[in-house]
Amino acid sequence: MTQDLLTIVLDTLLPGDGPWPSARDVDLAQALRADVAGDPERQIEIVLAALPVSFAAANADVREATLLAIEMSHGAAFERLVTLAYTAYYIEPRVRAVIERETGYENRPPQPLGYKLEPFDERLLDKQRQRAPFWRKV
Amino acid sequence: MTRTSVAIIGAGASGAAVAWRLASAGVDVVCLERGGWLEQGKSPSLGHDWERALQTRFHPNPNIRRAPDDDPVITDDTDIQPAQFNGVGGSLLRWGAHFPRLRPSDFRVRSLDGVADDWPLSYADLEPYYDLNDAMTGVAGLRGDPGNPPRTAERDPPLPLGPGGERLAAGFDKLDWHWWPSDAAIVTRARPGRAPCNNCGPCGVGCPRGSRASGDNTYWPAALAAGARLETGVRVTRLMPSPDGRRVAAIAYRDAQGRDHRLEADQIVAAANGLGTARLLLASTDRRHPQGLANSSGLVGRRLMHHPTAIVTGVFDARLDGHKGPFACALYCQQFYETDRARGALRGLQLQMLRGSGPVATALGGYMARLPWGSGHHREFTRQFAHSATLTVTVEDLPELDNRVTLDARRNDATGVPLARLAYRVGENSGRLLNFGIERASDALRAAGAIDIIVNPLSRAAGFHFLGTARAGDDPANSVVDGVGRAHDLDNLWIVDGSVFVTSGAVNPTPTIQAFALRAADAMLERIRP
Repeated sequence: MTQDLLTIVLDTLLPGDGPWPSARDVDLAQALRADVAGDPERQIEIVLAALPVSFAAANADVREATLLAIEMSHGAAFERLVTLAYTAYYIEPRVRAVIERETGYENRPPQPLGYKLEPFDERLLDKQRQRAPFWRKV
Repeated sequence: MTRTSVAIIGAGASGAAVAWRLASAGVDVVCLERGGWLEQGKSPSLGHDWERALQTRFHPNPNIRRAPDDDPVITDDTDIQPAQFNGVGGSLLRWGAHFPRLRPSDFRVRSLDGVADDWPLSYADLEPYYDLNDAMTGVAGLRGDPGNPPRTAERDPPLPLGPGGERLAAGFDKLDWHWWPSDAAIVTRARPGRAPCNNCGPCGVGCPRGSRASGDNTYWPAALAAGARLETGVRVTRLMPSPDGRRVAAIAYRDAQGRDHRLEADQIVAAANGLGTARLLLASTDRRHPQGLANSSGLVGRRLMHHPTAIVTGVFDARLDGHKGPFACALYCQQFYETDRARGALRGLQLQMLRGSGPVATALGGYMARLPWGSGHHREFTRQFAHSATLTVTVEDLPELDNRVTLDARRNDATGVPLARLAYRVGENSGRLLNFGIERASDALRAAGAIDIIVNPLSRAAGFHFLGTARAGDDPANSVVDGVGRAHDLDNLWIVDGSVFVTSGAVNPTPTIQAFALRAADAMLERIRP
């Protein structure tokens, strides 16, 4: 398996788009190295082995079409690769920073700060409180 | 350790409750647990890669998680994959803490609707134990739900709905449908050793504050203080019947160092959930019990019920911040809980809100389909992330004999016990209820203002409730245990986990499992100390 080929595959899965870095920009192939080493079914290698020799030199549209075909023919292996790629990409600090800028989602772990526990607004239940009990008696 | 008064197999929801109840009454109790103590104080939620943990060591499926204490489950013949966790607290270590009770009608399904069977006990029989369990667990919620019998147990203030929940509540009101804030096994007031919830969200990777109840922070501290003994990292391999075949004489188990042991007990309690208990009973064969123990009815492992679940997500044009707040606990709708034959199906369903997901789960789809890769990926991510709210459609699953847990004929675990094999198909009635529920969930989301609806018609990953594989009943010919969980065939064997469910209801089973277990413990006490 060559790192370059994996980089091209990952870049096809997660291309850069506006503020979003590409897989190559965040060196996702390197991040996946540990996952690849710990992949007992060698799913990633199965995907890479299914690529035609012309893949690396092809343009973006052809690469995408090629991977779509492999997704159909090697479903489980391809799904595993996508899962690993999405997971590594969306925990990457530079990607988290973009998420924060674009959506306001704080670039920090959920704990220990958590989020403010607002009091429940019981006025929301005004209409429900007018219902008669409707559970079925036995 | 070779002898005790009561031996419990499994330290999860039901085993913890029984251990506490008996130990508090002065009974000598030993519990054997396959997993260990989870260090929730070091939860992945304290780190940036907490969502990776959900894909690895906290993955709900043991076939993917592959922890040392996991056994593979053979799943080539099931519509729904298993979701379970070993450890002190069991699958509560991984749960969302939604904490509803069954309704009175759930115990009388045959009488009311002419299908399945009635339970050999009623809601009224369990009610004091539901209350006791609420008190031990710590429940946030609000009394007064018109869709359920009144709750008498004290509750902590309910969790906030958040922007998505408030929109959904308004949608339900617009349709004049029922909704109510969830009962959650999450404290919103401080308790000894447990801080109030701080609304962080990912309960499924453990709660470092101890706000979310998980057995290890509720029943177990009290049980151990009362003298219960708990041995972790051990694998129970077999129940050994007495020479006359009428009792269980001992439990065979292997410890973490690979040494084999035998524990004798006056009373044996199986609390290893609907998969593990069935597997153990089926594997415990001898000359007198060629079908396995407690199985003269032939029903051990059969009548497996899940809660088939569809996932319906609404995408909104406003930011909903669904990552804030316990992911599974906001509100529920039981407008369609009871039978309405006009639907073309019997029994009913619950709609339960799931808040939004973190970035990784959004990309992977959570219980939905994952986002497309390639040039359109980020556009779709931006459209959905923090802008969605979900309703699960959870339907009552009717018991069917061919949905079952069996033993694999070829593959064993490291101790030589055959692996469990699942055979499960979503039944016709459940399928109709799912389709009906998807339509209603879509109606509600549209009424709440959703601009797009995404449907997963069946969550294949939602095998978190294993029910019915050793059903309770009065007749030994068509049930495995009686109304307090004692096996018909064996004088001192008790089953207290979800195996005993006669029917599934359409809500999460944990409060009912624990209430049944507490009631069984009291029945055991009567026998131990008449």
